Amino acid sequence: MASLSWKHHTLIQALISRGPLKEKEFHSIFTAVTGRNPVTVKKIFDKYLLEINKELSYVHFELKACRDQYDGQVCYGVVNNVADDQSKLGTKYSVPQIAFFKGIIEAIAQDEAAQGCISSFDALNIRLENQISSEASSSQQQVPPAFKNFSMTQKEKTLDELVRDKWLCRTRERNIGLGIRSLLDLRSWFRNNDVPSCEVCNEAGVKADLCPTEGCPVRIHKYCLKKLLSQRDDKRCSGCGKPWPLSKITKTEAAEEAMNDEEESETQATAPKAKRRRQQRDSTENGSSQASLASTSGANTRRVTRSVGHSR
Amino acid sequence: MKLGFTKLLIVSPSQFLPDSLSQFDISKEETDKLVSEVIRFILFKFHQSSGTPIKREDLTQIVTKNYRQRNLATHVINEAKKKLSNVFGYDLKELQRARSSSTGQSRLPQSQSSVDSKSYVLVSELPLEVFKKHVVDETTSPVTGFTFVVLAIVQLAGGKIPEETLWHHLKRMGLHENDEHNPVFGNNKQTLETLVQQRFLQKEKVSGPEGSTLFYDLAERALDPQVSEKVKDYISQILKNDVAVVELND
Repeated sequence: MASLSWKHHTLIQALISRGPLKEKEFHSIFTAVTGRNPVTVKKIFDKYLLEINKELSYVHFELKACRDQYDGQVCYGVVNNVADDQSKLGTKYSVPQIAFFKGIIEAIAQDEAAQGCISSFDALNIRLENQISSEASSSQQQVPPAFKNFSMTQKEKTLDELVRDKWLCRTRERNIGLGIRSLLDLRSWFRNNDVPSCEVCNEAGVKADLCPTEGCPVRIHKYCLKKLLSQRDDKRCSGCGKPWPLSKITKTEAAEEAMNDEEESETQATAPKAKRRRQQRDSTENGSSQASLASTSGANTRRVTRSVGHSR
Repeated sequence: MKLGFTKLLIVSPSQFLPDSLSQFDISKEETDKLVSEVIRFILFKFHQSSGTPIKREDLTQIVTKNYRQRNLATHVINEAKKKLSNVFGYDLKELQRARSSSTGQSRLPQSQSSVDSKSYVLVSELPLEVFKKHVVDETTSPVTGFTFVVLAIVQLAGGKIPEETLWHHLKRMGLHENDEHNPVFGNNKQTLETLVQQRFLQKEKVSGPEGSTLFYDLAERALDPQVSEKVKDYISQILKNDVAVVELND
């Protein structure tokens, strides 16, 4: 059995304990333990991630990278790939809280304008009854008391917890968007729910720019669009062939963005795209969002950490 | 000659398995699946229950629900322990059993009075400095601080303290027993109760002439040498600081 080194363990434990980390922070941990800059020694960095994923696959976990669709920054996290009895233990959220969360992500994902968010008011007014399984026969479709009694105060508290635990986020305009945990964990959920993909990176276009041509389904993330426009002479929409409106993005902005992004890993840490798609499983089967290893809640939460004595 | 060669080929498939598996008559794939399930259970459960020890019987059940082989559960748990160390850098630490209660006093809850079942906690094997710098989630720091303070108070009281006295000391630090809306801990009483669930403390009812008194004792995790040494260091540091302050004032 090949054993990973303490350096690998530090990267894994940091993500398990602290939840998803921005690329900058994850890179700084890598630099601290290896003494190397992951940007300049990308091959070594990728090798580390490959070695980690090879071992994590044994327990159906994966160290993934994905972009935060709200700020374009790459984030890393350890996610669970299989919904099973064990992963159902992974949540601290109650059934009505999970139903509330599911209602929010559905409202955000199904927005045809791809704004990637809903107002706090709309979020708080989501009806939990709509989350009762549609397969259930009409006789069984009794609204559980826990759903009926889920007060506005409880919704507000849950919203705060979901934001704190990075399942949701608050945008600059104080709207409710998807948190980095959701973007990492719900990839297959987006696919299964037919959320249109970004034309450039093929990830779900939850927050994206739409082609203005009526009836054209093409959507592209803002950061992907900047990159695309800086690299291509032909600024036409691949869907309808009409010129893509450049008003939103200046050429200078696009060029700057491309320079900044050059070193950044595009999406996932290791596997090639086709293989990656095959591997993706619905980690939130039954709409539970239970499957993330690091879902947390509660003031005195202790994640998987060293016992109080920090014993060696 | 031919017969001898044929005889060589007629062997039990289990002969090709590692020694440890051949005794259970179970394939490597099946064992790996069980080990994986046990590891997943440990990681999710330990996380979800905020560090509460995991009962061995819960792990054993994962194996015994489909397999009847004797000692297979022990083998699977040992393999899971190795994997947790090799892949994650976690030590699956077995807790010592609780001390049996003496006459005239009863442990709470009753089920704790004869803790036959082993239980486990996850402990990071990383060097302390690395762990503190990169792994510790700062949102848990207040809870760690609270744990240290409570253990230090109980330690200074001789490893056992009446509930009333403990709250008296905590009150001096601004932690009131009935405060359910502490900005950091939420419910103070519940935070203390968490230390019982995590087996740093255990409750004990002692009957006396004036009725029964509730005591808090140091439990297995607090009695672990690695933890108790740290608590003692912590106490001596504070005492040193206090002495220094007194000297300066003189």
